[in-house]
Amino acid sequence: MTAEMSTDPKRYDHLEIRCPRLGGEVRFSYCQEEGGDLPCPRVIVCWQPHFPVEAYLKEKLTPAQWDRLFNQAPKHKVTSLVELIEAAKKRRGLSD
Amino acid sequence: MKPVKVFLDESEIPKQWYNILADMPTPMSPPLHPGTGQPVGPDDLAPVFPMNLIEQEVSTERWIDIPEEVLEKYLLWRPTPLYRARNFEKLLDAPVRIYYKNEGVSPPGSHKPNTAIAQAYYNKAFGIKRLSTETGAGQWGSALSMACQMFGLECRVFMVRVSYDQKPFRGMMMNVWGANCFPSPSDKTEAGRKILAEHPDSPGSLGIAISEAIEDAVGDENARYSLGSVLNHVLLHQTVNGLETQKQLKKIGVYPDVVIGCTGGGSNFAGLCLPFVRDKIHGKEISIVAAEPTSCPTMTRGPFAYDFGDTAQTTPLLAMHTLGHDFVPAPIHAGGLRYHGMAPIVSHLVKEQIMEARAYDQIQTFKAGVQWARTEGFISAPETNHAIAAVVQEAERAKEEGKEKVILFNWSGHGLVDLAAYDAYLSGKLHQYEMPEEEIARALQAIDGLPKP
Repeated sequence: MTAEMSTDPKRYDHLEIRCPRLGGEVRFSYCQEEGGDLPCPRVIVCWQPHFPVEAYLKEKLTPAQWDRLFNQAPKHKVTSLVELIEAAKKRRGLSD
Repeated sequence: MKPVKVFLDESEIPKQWYNILADMPTPMSPPLHPGTGQPVGPDDLAPVFPMNLIEQEVSTERWIDIPEEVLEKYLLWRPTPLYRARNFEKLLDAPVRIYYKNEGVSPPGSHKPNTAIAQAYYNKAFGIKRLSTETGAGQWGSALSMACQMFGLECRVFMVRVSYDQKPFRGMMMNVWGANCFPSPSDKTEAGRKILAEHPDSPGSLGIAISEAIEDAVGDENARYSLGSVLNHVLLHQTVNGLETQKQLKKIGVYPDVVIGCTGGGSNFAGLCLPFVRDKIHGKEISIVAAEPTSCPTMTRGPFAYDFGDTAQTTPLLAMHTLGHDFVPAPIHAGGLRYHGMAPIVSHLVKEQIMEARAYDQIQTFKAGVQWARTEGFISAPETNHAIAAVVQEAERAKEEGKEKVILFNWSGHGLVDLAAYDAYLSGKLHQYEMPEEEIARALQAIDGLPKP
């Protein structure tokens, strides 16, 4: 599972791990895009033991993306749900 | 012949769920509305949940009656048996008695129907015709599919595409129970269509699947959304498990020293443990352990110690094989990501040090799971293996200390649709990362002087 250091930007993409959120095996390429334009919030917890993912992501992400991903406290689930409800209402053209 | 199982008669099934919010030693912070900053109110959640479940979500009543219609469905597989793991005890050769609650005997094979049945019932009672949900591996989706069928509700499940392709049997189970299982992103919602337009081969994510499931429910007065973990009412419904277990243990005159469950969102753990947390709050001496995943195999080379959850040393202490809080990259801790996705009730109880969280890596958990299958016979869900790894650790500690212990844990589900994960372990595809000795020595200095569990 460990990867040799190289300069290929996709050098870790093929590595595979069990995802504790999904309950199945996924590749690192999946973890990098799990959040759309951002990696999964657990990406460092899951991958750091296998290769220097922190350093890799620091090169890849902008400071703003880094901050959004790693320096924000997780939201309360209910707060997230309310956000999703509001977003869904907008997509469906519904107003309060 | 020594007894292995403790049964309850059907008439002995608990008639009420237990609500831990009535006994919380300190109040929990209310969730805030992202727009107003004010506490979220019932109307904010009404587009996705029926009011009877919203009332349970905020209730502080200690005991909540289980409706007769729910009990009738529970009786299809409940009360579940409490087992004594005599063969595993023999293998471990430690001064421990190990009991486990077998929640894998439910039709979908996990604890999930304990809340799926209740949620389907309350939605039906509220006049809802259709439920929508998301699922990762499919445990929750299959449980809700069955529950909806039992109460005559239509069910739509948005399953993360990558899992949908990997685990076709879960999708088939949902179809057998009459649900529609869609790979997410799908063309059923605006959120899905937008992603498919930009990335036709998108593997999906839980975030996308949740967005789709919520959009599918919002705006349709006959539809609501259902969530299988994390929320207060979900944990409430799961307590039927722990309450049954207490009755079973009482029958044989046993009380556990340690109660263990695995934690993802926290629902199976809470289901077994919360009634014992109540005992602990009222003075009983008992350890309650949440076994959670980490992928840091090398940490098992460090001592088992308490470590802070952040570099500022302000978040709860987490007992684990640790190389210190400054070893794990700071970003993991800064946002409290160890607790990402965890039920607020469980996070709060860990913070209050009423229960403790321990982390186990995947090699350790699969090793324990295979030992379990080869002694007790049952093949566990990979998540359940975290609890078994914690049992092994407790047994080893009891042996070292020469102390007799009674260990209770939640065998939350079978792994018969997770055999690919076992194959990866058995074929050696999972490797243990080796960290240089000098790096370990440097990291260990960080936890010098911290308390030991």
